[in-house]
Amino acid sequence: MNEPKVVGIGQIVVSRAPEQICCLGLGSCVAVFLYDPEAKIGGVLHILLPKAPPHCQAQDKYADTGIIKLLQLVLARGARKERLVAKLVGGAQMFQNLNISICDIGADNCHQAKKILRDMGIRTIAEDIEGKRGRSATFHLDSGKVAITTAFSGEHTI
Amino acid sequence: MSEEEKGRVLEIIREFANIGAGNAATALASILNTELVNEVTSCNILPISRVAGWLGGENQIVAGVYTQLCGDLKSGVLVVFPKDSAEELLKHMTPGPIDLGQITRLQSSALREVGNICLCWYLVAVSRMIETDLIPAPPDAAVDMLGAVLDLPLATLGAHVDTVIAVHTYFKGVDRRFEGYFLLLPEEQMLKEVLEKMGAKF
Repeated sequence: MNEPKVVGIGQIVVSRAPEQICCLGLGSCVAVFLYDPEAKIGGVLHILLPKAPPHCQAQDKYADTGIIKLLQLVLARGARKERLVAKLVGGAQMFQNLNISICDIGADNCHQAKKILRDMGIRTIAEDIEGKRGRSATFHLDSGKVAITTAFSGEHTI
Repeated sequence: MSEEEKGRVLEIIREFANIGAGNAATALASILNTELVNEVTSCNILPISRVAGWLGGENQIVAGVYTQLCGDLKSGVLVVFPKDSAEELLKHMTPGPIDLGQITRLQSSALREVGNICLCWYLVAVSRMIETDLIPAPPDAAVDMLGAVLDLPLATLGAHVDTVIAVHTYFKGVDRRFEGYFLLLPEEQMLKEVLEKMGAKF
């Protein structure tokens, strides 16, 4: 088995079974997983912020522009839009006592990601989001399952 | 930044880093009630995307204490203690068993305080070199995977910051040794001002 491909912040990785794709140390960031269960093709986007500012070059950092690009790339790889399902992981609030206006950026990321997916007509079938704990997630493209580990408790799968 | 420029900048950073580490060691020695010296300080100036790698990977467990500066110069300030060091610090500051997975309010408060003291003393070194007051807001602490701890600093500053000044220090006492990272995440204006006032020419 090959090592899982790691998706850094603001990156997209698209692949097919039997590959694995992972996001390490998701805090307020959100990983968006798109999967076509028949073609066994999937992609992961690692977003940092909910909305791209106007004229922004680095689209993949943002939920609104990044998810659209993720969809394009997954379709270009051979997935069919009507079969696609989505999963979301991340969006925790790591620092609860900071006096910063966007302290709960994680929740904003989740809301925006869900809204974009809904607008595109893609079903979100599973999620492990918000809360106060960081997560690492590994996407198994042969099954479409996402295995999630946290810092201090065991692994679970969605 | 060319290699030659980077070398010059690193020399300047090393100067304030050593002063800051010395300050921090003195302050830590006083709250831990022990002798303590700063042993090795290494510095780097690196893009945000490489910070987690320099600190040893996203998946390791750390205690992070984060705040931002108040005032005209905008910057994030983050102090990171690797797991062992965080446990060592807590052992000497708080009573009772230590489980970083379920830290008590007192332990969280202790981490916040020790992080605050460290970051302030590093900031004092920067502040004196650029002859400008730097006042941090009250910080907050989180114990989790490094990648997760780094997310909020990146999210609050990500649009304006691409260069991180990173300092790593070992603190050594008679019977203990621990390490900490001091990270300054300056917005462009702050970075320019700091480097120019410290004597770097571009």
